[in-house]
Amino acid sequence: MSKLQLITKGILKENPTFVLILGMCPTLGVTSSAVNGMGMGVATMAVLIMSNIVISLIKNLIPDKVRIPAFIVVIASFVTIIEMLMKAYVPALYASLGVFIPLIVVNCIILGRAEAFASKNGVVDSALDGVGIGLGFTLSLTVIGMVREALGAGSIFGYNFAGDVMPLLFILAPGGFIVLGYLMVLFNKIAKR
Amino acid sequence: MKSSLKNMVLVLFTITAVSALLVALVNTVTKETIAQTEQKNKDLAKLEVLPAFEGEAELEEQTKQIGDFTVGVTKVSANGEVVGYAVEAPSITKNGYADRIYLMVGFVEKEGQTLINGIKVLSQKETPGLGANMTKEGNKLELSAVGKNPAEMTFKVKKDDASGSFDSLTGSTISSRAYANAMETAYAGYLWAKGELDTSEEAIADAPTGASTVTEGADTPTGATVAEGDYANETEPEAQKGEISNE
Repeated sequence: MSKLQLITKGILKENPTFVLILGMCPTLGVTSSAVNGMGMGVATMAVLIMSNIVISLIKNLIPDKVRIPAFIVVIASFVTIIEMLMKAYVPALYASLGVFIPLIVVNCIILGRAEAFASKNGVVDSALDGVGIGLGFTLSLTVIGMVREALGAGSIFGYNFAGDVMPLLFILAPGGFIVLGYLMVLFNKIAKR
Repeated sequence: MKSSLKNMVLVLFTITAVSALLVALVNTVTKETIAQTEQKNKDLAKLEVLPAFEGEAELEEQTKQIGDFTVGVTKVSANGEVVGYAVEAPSITKNGYADRIYLMVGFVEKEGQTLINGIKVLSQKETPGLGANMTKEGNKLELSAVGKNPAEMTFKVKKDDASGSFDSLTGSTISSRAYANAMETAYAGYLWAKGELDTSEEAIADAPTGASTVTEGADTPTGATVAEGDYANETEPEAQKGEISNE
């Protein structure tokens, strides 16, 4: 598989949200606005790239039977360290992305990619896989966030265009499921062509 | 790699030990900086909720324990004149949707009247897109309070009580109630700092620590919050649902 394909497959063929259907909890939880969706996506992408690199580096040292607990410990400590460093040295970034960081630990995309890709491939390929899947996740979350924000709050990226009359349902959880479902159908219909 | 008991134990132990060590190390290194940043933000918030002034700011801080919570009152003066009071207060009886809400509220005095000059949310964990909108500038909650005289306000949301002063945020009544409650705490803290706390409000401020001290604001008339002792024979107030720890 070429290096470019590694990236594009994460966006289309193996899109984590619409095709692999991984990481639904943060997807539904934070996509109440486009900015939040994007923030979650970017933070996840950063962690995913780094954890893929680390996992592919240590994959030969870990016995098969304990690989999953080992990966979880690595990812969780990694996320915690990133959170503390961000809080201490880039408080501005933390203020906007900080709420998403603890959620990333429980995002199964990270563990899924560690298990399915990084534990079988080299460092460069694993990093590129992280970029691809991360981009796919970011784009999907941004789109879901945009649709929910537009339908529910009448604004896009915080710019209001419709006043206060839109149905709030779309910001709330049920609206999240509805939007996600329809977007999934749409995405797969288009992607299959 | 093939698994054997020996290498599994060894590898897991090494990984957990190294991770724990790294996390502890980073925590030690960053702890100070994080605390400083938080303090700096708090100090900035103090000045942000008060009107702009010239000259060096003098801060005079006092804290008051209310039950398990601390209300911090900072008197800000410049050039020998009092600019106003910045009060840091939690929501006490009303939790937000996820956690307590901490506000920094600026009180100024103008022509013998107390006015709320500005409000800043210090910490909240409300739902993004709903309750979290309370951090946005010019949100309904902020607009319901800024520029008003707290003595004439009712610290309730309009949805619960027609006389309430707060318009709630769309779809976030619980967050709005907590916000109104934190405002009430802040006002009590301000009155206390000025020595104007009357007996009924003394009840919130001086309620004994330990026993879950404060009642639901909604059960009592405005402004006068009654110590829980008065409710001793009633069923546990809602506020007790694991929100106010006893010891």
